[in-house]
Amino acid sequence: MIRFENASVTYPGGVHALKNLTLEIPDGQMMVIVGLSGAGKSTLIRAINGLVPLSDGDVTIDGESVRRAKPPQLREIRSKVGMIFQTFNLVKRTSVLNNVLLGRLHDAGTMRSLLGWYRPDDVEIAMRALERVDIVEKAYVRASNLSGGQQQRVGIARALAQEPKIILADEPVASLDPPTSHVVMRDLQRINRDLGITTIVNLHFLDLAKVYGDRIIGMRSGELVYDGTGEQADERVFRDIYGRSLTADDVLGEPTKTVSV
Amino acid sequence: MTSAASVPPAHARPAKPPRSYLPLLGLAAFVVVTWLSVGEEFGIGLDPGLLVENLGRGTGIWAEFLEPNWSFLPETFGPLLETFQMAVIAAAVGCGIALPVSFLASRVSTPNVATYLADRGLLSIVRAIPDLLYALIFVAAVGIGPLAGILALVFFNIGVVAKLLSETIDGVDTGPLEATRAAGANRIQTQRWAVLPQVLPNYVAYSLYTFELNIRASTVIGLVGAGGLGVLLNTQRAFFRYDNLAVIIVELFVLVFAIEFFSIWLRRRLV
Amino acid sequence: MTASVTLRPAEPSHARRNAGFIAAAALVIWAVLTVEADWTELAEVPGGIARLFFRLFLENGVDWTYLPTAAEAMLDSIWIAWVGTIIGAVISLPIGFFGARNVSSGLISNVVRQVLNAIRAFPELVLVIVIFIPIAGLGAVAGALAVGLHSVGTLGKLTAEVVEGIDPGPVEATRAAGGRALQVQRWGVLPQVLPEIIAFWLYRFEINIRAAAILGVVGAGGIGTVVQETIVYRRYDKAGMAILVVIVATILIDAVSGWVRRRIIEGAEARTDAGDVEGLGSPLRMDSDIG
Repeated sequence: MIRFENASVTYPGGVHALKNLTLEIPDGQMMVIVGLSGAGKSTLIRAINGLVPLSDGDVTIDGESVRRAKPPQLREIRSKVGMIFQTFNLVKRTSVLNNVLLGRLHDAGTMRSLLGWYRPDDVEIAMRALERVDIVEKAYVRASNLSGGQQQRVGIARALAQEPKIILADEPVASLDPPTSHVVMRDLQRINRDLGITTIVNLHFLDLAKVYGDRIIGMRSGELVYDGTGEQADERVFRDIYGRSLTADDVLGEPTKTVSV
Repeated sequence: MTSAASVPPAHARPAKPPRSYLPLLGLAAFVVVTWLSVGEEFGIGLDPGLLVENLGRGTGIWAEFLEPNWSFLPETFGPLLETFQMAVIAAAVGCGIALPVSFLASRVSTPNVATYLADRGLLSIVRAIPDLLYALIFVAAVGIGPLAGILALVFFNIGVVAKLLSETIDGVDTGPLEATRAAGANRIQTQRWAVLPQVLPNYVAYSLYTFELNIRASTVIGLVGAGGLGVLLNTQRAFFRYDNLAVIIVELFVLVFAIEFFSIWLRRRLV
Repeated sequence: MTASVTLRPAEPSHARRNAGFIAAAALVIWAVLTVEADWTELAEVPGGIARLFFRLFLENGVDWTYLPTAAEAMLDSIWIAWVGTIIGAVISLPIGFFGARNVSSGLISNVVRQVLNAIRAFPELVLVIVIFIPIAGLGAVAGALAVGLHSVGTLGKLTAEVVEGIDPGPVEATRAAGGRALQVQRWGVLPQVLPEIIAFWLYRFEINIRAAAILGVVGAGGIGTVVQETIVYRRYDKAGMAILVVIVATILIDAVSGWVRRRIIEGAEARTDAGDVEGLGSPLRMDSDIG
């Protein structure tokens, strides 16, 4: 269970990115966060694995405080939290498999990982992660040779290779076209349901949010302004969150189709 | 039907922007410095007229140069080989040491400001000493011979490669770094898997470049006793054997060209 | 969800890469084994260095009374580098244009480039011994001329490369407006390339400081003589001072020159879309022998 207790983040410039957030996320939930850019979505997600330090309050994972964790404990916590990014963040010059193995780094010793002598178990876990997102045939392909959707699936495989309890996704589909976006979101949803991994996703496409989120959180200026299910989230609710009428930019649009990427 | 007001509205012509005095000052300073530099008292005493007169002075020497003593050639092979060996060893060791040094000299890989500044400062000092000066120092420290030359070149290499590589590291894509940290990796693992793959091609290019620099440098550091062709250069110069010097110089020329061709070939194969 | 019926691919062979590694390693090992250095002495090296460092800087401290002499000699080296760089810059500018395929003809540019390569092959030391001391005798003039000639070689090549890399648009425009050849160069080409070329001149100046510092070793003036003599005659406190002067002067000049370079490139950037702050092109531009 992830718990935010009066968590606040103030950036050096004076920006209050998170204001006194109190929130509980039970295990296995698929939660979607929506809101304008700068509303605090990114900050919220990054506070969970400590990439953004809290200025006040605390965030705990299964009772363990992220804010007070010393570096070795923080790494331990992070190894159980997988993260995927809008820009995929793959190491372009190296193979898909090496990218996925980044997820095993924490469990491989420093010496081993320096030389690249991963244990067969670790390689097996990585391969299985690639199989789960249906891209294992590209294992030895250079990451830069893949399409956007394929790269993001490698990103998901990297997160899966950590055998995580939680997966964080920061605008995972913002750089992808509509059909691919649905494929990726469906992968995340499937992983959440099959493996019971708590999944927290930032999205700015509202239709995607309604379709794929068990629970939707609305952020506005660093504050939580909505917390409910997809059904309950109607136009009026979204207008509250966004502070304006909806525009075409806020929805992805295309019907969900099965395509291969 | 005439349209009223067909004259476009008049805009006042913009005022000419004020001239900045900085370039003018710069130019003035430049002229002053240059004038000082060629004068007698402060500068080097450059007298073009005198030079032209003395052009003839060199002809006797050059005549000797134009008749190389090819029987000297076998004697040069040993020092030539030594030059090559020194360049190879120094490049390997120097570039090897430069790798961790570069990582410490970049903000991207070394968040600890104190370490980073210290490393950068040290690097500035290492780079400020020319290769031959290192040779002088190491000959004084460990005696004449190629060992001094190798040590000198190693330090020289570290200066060159570490500066280039640390600047490359400064410019890497930090996305993969964030991802690796988020997965729970420690700092060494992050550098190894998120940064190193991005800079490896550059590192190889810099190493090859350093090797070329070494070849050129190791031909002359022998002038102060640090081994290689330079030793021969020095002795022949001292004895005014310009005919032998000519042979050495031709060899030097061939060596440098050969290495350049080789490295262009190698780089094409790598890419 | 598709069951994993896709076969896992086999790991590709890294034969060529490994062969390369082995060849390189073999080369290094061969060099280490065959070079005529007594590797058993390696253990004594740190001690020797420490002793020398101690003598140079710590034993009696550095000889501060020697500062004026050392500074004067360093100034000589700076003048040598200054004059040499100017000679190199002035001569290499037109030569660089002749060496550019898009400005002069293919044949001429080739010949010019080969000549420049030939000049570049000779370190300044060799040039000074072979050519300039015979002409100008011992002293700083010989040094400056040698630095100048070598600089022509490097700067010429860099200039030619920059000119070859220009945007042909402004050149066409100038020609279309009726400009003669020289005018086309002056107004169509030069404005595009001047900032980068000046940055190269400054960088060359920084390198020439180091070259000039060395030339004293063969009598071509500057602080090289001072360092050599003080070390050979074991006046270590004076040698320490001289080395300190070299380090400080070089770092200062690097800093100032670097600052000016960045200002020039930033000024050019503000007017175009160029993106290279260091003014050296991409770090992979090593064929240009910037050093």
